[in-house]
Amino acid sequence: MKYSAALLLLLFSPMVSAESGTDARDIIRDAINHYRGLTSYSEMTMTIHRPDWERTMSMNGWSSGGKKTLVRVTAPPRDAGNATLVLDDNKVWSFTPKINRVIRIPSSMMSQSWMGSDFSNKDISRTDEIVDKYDHTLVRTEESDGHTVYIIESIPQEEAAIVWGKEISHVRDDYVELEHHFLDQDLETVKILKTLDIQEMGGRMFAVHQRMNMLEKDDEWTEFSIQTLDFDREIPEYLFTLSNLRNPRD
Amino acid sequence: MTNTTTLLAWRNIWRHPRRTLLTIAAMVFADVLLIFMLGLQFGQYRMMIDNSLAIFTGQMQVQAEGYNDEPHMYRSITAADALAQDIRERTQLDAVATRGYGFALVSSESRTLGVQISGVDPLHEPRVSTIPGLISQGRYLGEVDSNEIVIGSTLARNLKIKPGDELTVLGNGRDGSIAATVAPVVGIYESGSRDMDRHMLSMPLDTFREVFSMDDQAHSIIIGGARDQGDSIAAAARDALQQRESLVLLDWETLMPGLKQAIQADFTSAWFMYAVLIVLVAFGMLNTMLMSVLERTHEFGILLALGVGHGKLARMIVTESVALATIGMLFGIACGALLVGYFFFNGFSFPGMEAMGERFNIPSVLYPEISIRSLLPGPLAVFITTLLASLYPILRMRKLHPIEALQAV
Repeated sequence: MKYSAALLLLLFSPMVSAESGTDARDIIRDAINHYRGLTSYSEMTMTIHRPDWERTMSMNGWSSGGKKTLVRVTAPPRDAGNATLVLDDNKVWSFTPKINRVIRIPSSMMSQSWMGSDFSNKDISRTDEIVDKYDHTLVRTEESDGHTVYIIESIPQEEAAIVWGKEISHVRDDYVELEHHFLDQDLETVKILKTLDIQEMGGRMFAVHQRMNMLEKDDEWTEFSIQTLDFDREIPEYLFTLSNLRNPRD
Repeated sequence: MTNTTTLLAWRNIWRHPRRTLLTIAAMVFADVLLIFMLGLQFGQYRMMIDNSLAIFTGQMQVQAEGYNDEPHMYRSITAADALAQDIRERTQLDAVATRGYGFALVSSESRTLGVQISGVDPLHEPRVSTIPGLISQGRYLGEVDSNEIVIGSTLARNLKIKPGDELTVLGNGRDGSIAATVAPVVGIYESGSRDMDRHMLSMPLDTFREVFSMDDQAHSIIIGGARDQGDSIAAAARDALQQRESLVLLDWETLMPGLKQAIQADFTSAWFMYAVLIVLVAFGMLNTMLMSVLERTHEFGILLALGVGHGKLARMIVTESVALATIGMLFGIACGALLVGYFFFNGFSFPGMEAMGERFNIPSVLYPEISIRSLLPGPLAVFITTLLASLYPILRMRKLHPIEALQAV
């Protein structure tokens, strides 16, 4: 009897700790859903800053569900028409009008820079992969501007093919992400995504201005600034196809 | 009296000519082996360095400050061609070439790989790099602005392409814009260097500049020339750099730290083997000297009884071993120099070296080095350890008492 009681305790103890994990996972899932919506359409600018130059590109983005993303550059003219299509978690294609070719980014290149920015090919897709392939722990909560902020550590599961050792998200109680830290396998912080401005857009509070900063390089960063945002509009499925990537009908 | 000691020592040496000759032979053998090995080793290192540098790196390079540590595309040299021309004039050297480097995704019909791209000047590149001469299929790049690509053999295999096929290049330009081009592969090279054959693709410099938005910029000016004139070339190149800001001249040790470390590691492990050889010879010498002292105990007794001091006896034994060691060293150096000299002119090779040479990028015929650093250290080490070995018999002899000595058989 004693033994079975101990056994019961053993059986249930992981469930108890897993419960707090579920909480943290829910927050992450809600943050991703908040970020992506069922579908989304956005118009934004990306600014890449380097010690001796700065460059701004305008682009349009579409997303559908948790996995599909399409980004198309609209300006400057030299880069206009370049597009990136993300399907699932690891399938990324790039289209370049100048040479009229679609190139599949090999999975070994997923952590390489996306269009010369501080975002990697992986970052740009921002799929819901983080929800299922990571274990999440709520580390602590903070109060900020009348909001509660959840600080959540996400560690990739053993079998997940993910380059990071750990990610730390600061998520506000209205699911706006304030900060996202990327840590390497030695748990050293590599880069930090910070939200600089939050506004109501597309019917929800949204991080409309974000900056990705490589650590210890203050003069190298990439900023995203969102001008237009529309959620849950009708987005045809053909948008996320290779033929549309090459011959846009958007 | 000193002459008597020397004379006695000389005669003692030749009392057992066969033993003496054998001891000398052991020393000579060790010396020759050491000289040969060291000469071969230094010759091999020299060739390894020369050949490694000749493939792509050159003797030295001009780069923007910081580029070598963190090769960001924007860390580049402005008006690079003018600077290269200036260096050419000041060093009176043709072997000066300008290059740009980038990273891009390269796609064939069936594969996409991340590849290092170098933009090279087809006119000057053959003078600083062996790659243009190692084309195994097709041809090397033609004009500085033609739209074509040469590619390493392993990379060609991985991309499943042959000369005539097109490659798509997609990366980012110096200003962050999207760099993309499609160009035919005109040649495939086989440099023997794994890195070069697997990860590298070259296109003409001006084409590279256009694709990667480089204007008149470049990332590196490669300076070739003979390594033994490195100092004067470097001085002339530094003069050219004086009017420019934030550029640095880097020597090959900085450019290829791995090469230097590999050589040092190899040399250290080799010295361990040499030390063992030297110690073995020393023991042989110890044996000879000990025997010759022990067998003469009776004789030493007589000398001591006649009033010859311990000091004089010690001097005699020291003279014997110095004489032996000197003869051994002189013959050793002479024979070693002869042997190394023979291979210096005729080259040295052994079976299986071709495969090894390919792996470490050294030619299959080696030419040993003849120099003070290859000829002297080995024999000197043998000489010194030999003298040290003869100390023990002398210390024994000093305790010798005439009466006891006379009673010894």
